[in-house]
Amino acid sequence: MTVNFKAFLSLLLALPMPIMALAQPDACTIALSGRVIDEHDGQALSFAEVFIPSLGKGSVADEEGRYRIDGLCPGIYELRVAHLGCEPLTQEVRLTKNLVIDFKLEHHAEELKELEVILDRPDENVGHARQALGREAMVGAGGQSIAEMLVTLPGVSMLTSGPSIAKPVIHGLSGNRILTLNQGVRQEDQQWGTDHAPSIDPLSSDRLTVVKGAASVQYGSDAIGGVVIAEPVELPRKPDLSGELRGIGILNGKGGGGSAMLQGGVPGLSGLGWRVQGSGRAVGDGEAARYSLSNTGAREWAASASIGFRDHRRSAALYYSRFERELGILRAAHIGSTTDLQRAIESGVPWYVQDFTYAIDAPRQTVTHHLLKASAGISLTDRNRLDAVYAYQGNARQEYDIRRGGRSARPSLDLFLGTHTGELILKHWLGPHVHGKAGLTGLLQENYNVPGTGVRPLLPDYKRWNAGAFVLEHFPFGERLELEAGARAEATAIDVDLGTGDSPNRRYDFFNHALSAGANWQPGDSLRLRFNVSSAFRPPHVSELHSQGLHHSAAAIEEGDASLGSERALKAVLDAGAATRNGKLRIDATLHAARIDDYIYQRPDGTRLTIRGAFPVFRYTATDAMIMGADLSVQGRLGKGFTAALKGSMVRGRDRVQGDWLFLMPGDRMEISLRKQMKAHGYWRELEAKVSTLIVLRQQRYPTGLDFTDPPPGYQLLNATLSAARRLGMHELRIGIRGSNLLNSAYRDYLDRFRYYADARGIDVQIWLAFIFGKT
Amino acid sequence: MTKGMLLLFSISVHLSACKPDKEELDQHNGSNQNEEELITTVRASFTQVGGGHTAEFSWVDIDGDGGNAPVITGDTVFVGTSYNATLLLLNESVSPADTVSSEVTDEAEAHQFFFSTTGGSLTWASYGDTDSNGLPIGLLSTWVAMGAGSGSITIILRHELNKSAAGVSNGDITNAGGETDIEVVIPYLVQ
Repeated sequence: MTVNFKAFLSLLLALPMPIMALAQPDACTIALSGRVIDEHDGQALSFAEVFIPSLGKGSVADEEGRYRIDGLCPGIYELRVAHLGCEPLTQEVRLTKNLVIDFKLEHHAEELKELEVILDRPDENVGHARQALGREAMVGAGGQSIAEMLVTLPGVSMLTSGPSIAKPVIHGLSGNRILTLNQGVRQEDQQWGTDHAPSIDPLSSDRLTVVKGAASVQYGSDAIGGVVIAEPVELPRKPDLSGELRGIGILNGKGGGGSAMLQGGVPGLSGLGWRVQGSGRAVGDGEAARYSLSNTGAREWAASASIGFRDHRRSAALYYSRFERELGILRAAHIGSTTDLQRAIESGVPWYVQDFTYAIDAPRQTVTHHLLKASAGISLTDRNRLDAVYAYQGNARQEYDIRRGGRSARPSLDLFLGTHTGELILKHWLGPHVHGKAGLTGLLQENYNVPGTGVRPLLPDYKRWNAGAFVLEHFPFGERLELEAGARAEATAIDVDLGTGDSPNRRYDFFNHALSAGANWQPGDSLRLRFNVSSAFRPPHVSELHSQGLHHSAAAIEEGDASLGSERALKAVLDAGAATRNGKLRIDATLHAARIDDYIYQRPDGTRLTIRGAFPVFRYTATDAMIMGADLSVQGRLGKGFTAALKGSMVRGRDRVQGDWLFLMPGDRMEISLRKQMKAHGYWRELEAKVSTLIVLRQQRYPTGLDFTDPPPGYQLLNATLSAARRLGMHELRIGIRGSNLLNSAYRDYLDRFRYYADARGIDVQIWLAFIFGKT
Repeated sequence: MTKGMLLLFSISVHLSACKPDKEELDQHNGSNQNEEELITTVRASFTQVGGGHTAEFSWVDIDGDGGNAPVITGDTVFVGTSYNATLLLLNESVSPADTVSSEVTDEAEAHQFFFSTTGGSLTWASYGDTDSNGLPIGLLSTWVAMGAGSGSITIILRHELNKSAAGVSNGDITNAGGETDIEVVIPYLVQ
């Protein structure tokens, strides 16, 4: 379906109308909101939990300690307020209308209090705009990849290679330009490849956060577009056993999955907690609206185990996870020449379509990713703490191509990437107006081509060393204003073995720095402003320095450039949130602008005659880029349990040297949704239905001569979800159904690298179930 | 603490052992592997039907993609003459050279050549070989040189194609699908 810009604009303008005409509060639309603060110093208790046990309903406070529970019926409730390190508070409230209550909690132990205030900001980048998917949203999105989950946040889109591979894109940037932290460790899994999806099991985390700023000061290189954080789960501190079972059925791909988690403590050993978790998922060929997407099945399994000890002064933890994935690559996207590509574009349908199957044939990929992490911390004084983390990641990747002579069973790319990372961080308190952290980080990495492929490697063997030091300080001024400033210096050395016999290895050295300044200002209770200006850097990846050869599905020859320097970005982000006092209307907006010097991209550089015909040559080249945009989220309560919401984002990317647009910037997108929260029905609570439509406009700003065809038309998709929860004694059961592309629209997305070959996925319905037992 | 660290290190050493061992690493340099499936050379040998005149067309790129440009050699055929053509595919980047056409013969059901010409003087007539399903391969074919003139021959090899699609067995590439392994253009002269 084509959507033009006028329609988009008029929708944008029309949407707030019903929100203005707010309905009278009716039976079950009461909202309870307020802040959770420290009784002694009035500091916000971020991530405090406010819970109504009788309803099984609650909310987790944000970083400023603000919480909100919607859709309550009039009545008397017992409220429970809890926060790590605090005595839980139980209070009775009578609800007749919207109510604002501020809770003050008293810390259990005086020495703990100081510690927690510092500890409770896992990422002390106050000024960075961030958005998170909480536990409930993640339970409802089970069975999806990390990128598919994150794409629901404004400003995030995804770069796909058919239905089986998706990578997150933040403000138009992806791959090596965004950093992924898994369990607090920078993920190193050959993320440079556009068809290399993150090797992370989303079910191993309870919360996914996206930092939408250039955050190199805290996180080091690559955090140019932003950071994706799969946050670690806190280990239980009580001996009680608890856990969770989840199941999911997936229509499109006729597959399903499940996961199990068990956690507890050790009786008699206070402070010791453990957790084991495992998950698996299998789907067959995906289905587009009109045909099967042959060879797009996937199989995945993951397991993790952790154990940790923590008391008031010391902590130590050990974590191990293993992730395995095998996936098929759309058969029709495997081509051999530009003629084949031209033929695919002209025919409009994939040339290879077979009946549905679970079998995965060449071309396919298998990936195994290990992560081992050991961390320890000690409080040096009441307010100063030293934390050390060491992690090892092993990433084995095999890519199988369609080959002659029975070689299809041999990988044509067989890489092993081993990465050691370590960090030492001192959280320090220099006074009530200056506190923060300083740290040292290091990385040692080796990329190795496992012999036996019979194909000249795409990426040569290399070793990479990296060492950095940073300091990040906070300057709170009263309750409403907090400033932040930071700096980092980092050195990177790369030693590349070009495999040209006896010639010496090629050595590269890069030295970079980053600075950041930010402010968090809350002029009133209903208005919050964040501003941040920060720089970030990224040394070129070995693939950009030394790539050489034919990229099959892209029908192009890629050539690296050994003279490339580091990319340097300066990004400013203004993030504002405002809500009416009664909480009926809430608006969040993010404006961002980034200037990236020496932005590396592929520029056409003539054609080369090969035995498969003539191919265009794309050479990695540096330019100066400017990327600007806005994310918007508006939410209004309409009464009778209805909530309307709009989320939208737009990005504009310019190549300042060529005076042209940047390639592969996401098209403008907007999601409009209507949610209805219903009264409890029998044992079932939290009954919720949501209908939404996603509108993606055609990308009209694209560079000339870089692509084989114009961007595809815009499209509109209809999605819906239903969910409910009930308590079963001490336990909890949640179920839901999620439908996407319900009208089975045939469409192609500009950010799908396989859009030349086939439509995107058609209708899908997923049914999920979660059983949580022994809730802590 | 020290004990814990020791344990940690032993685990990480164990994990690193997932890598192939050092010996294997020393024997092969991973970055320097031979390109086994490379096709460097296409030779089309034309022999006059019934014997007599021969012509040799070739397209050779010894160092594969990139590096030196391919060497393309055309030839001359005679007016009003029919020719049997034999195709030979080689990987001459290794020594001794690898005969890729025998791999095509081994997997004949998954391969087929397609031919076309420009200029109108030389035309492809028919296939001269078949696979186990009775469908053409194209390592052998028949050609006819008509009047004097010049133009070029295009030789295409498709892999994993649909050989039973409409027209494909008659040499029409339109519905063949599959992926292109070879697509070369070589000049000819008819006199």
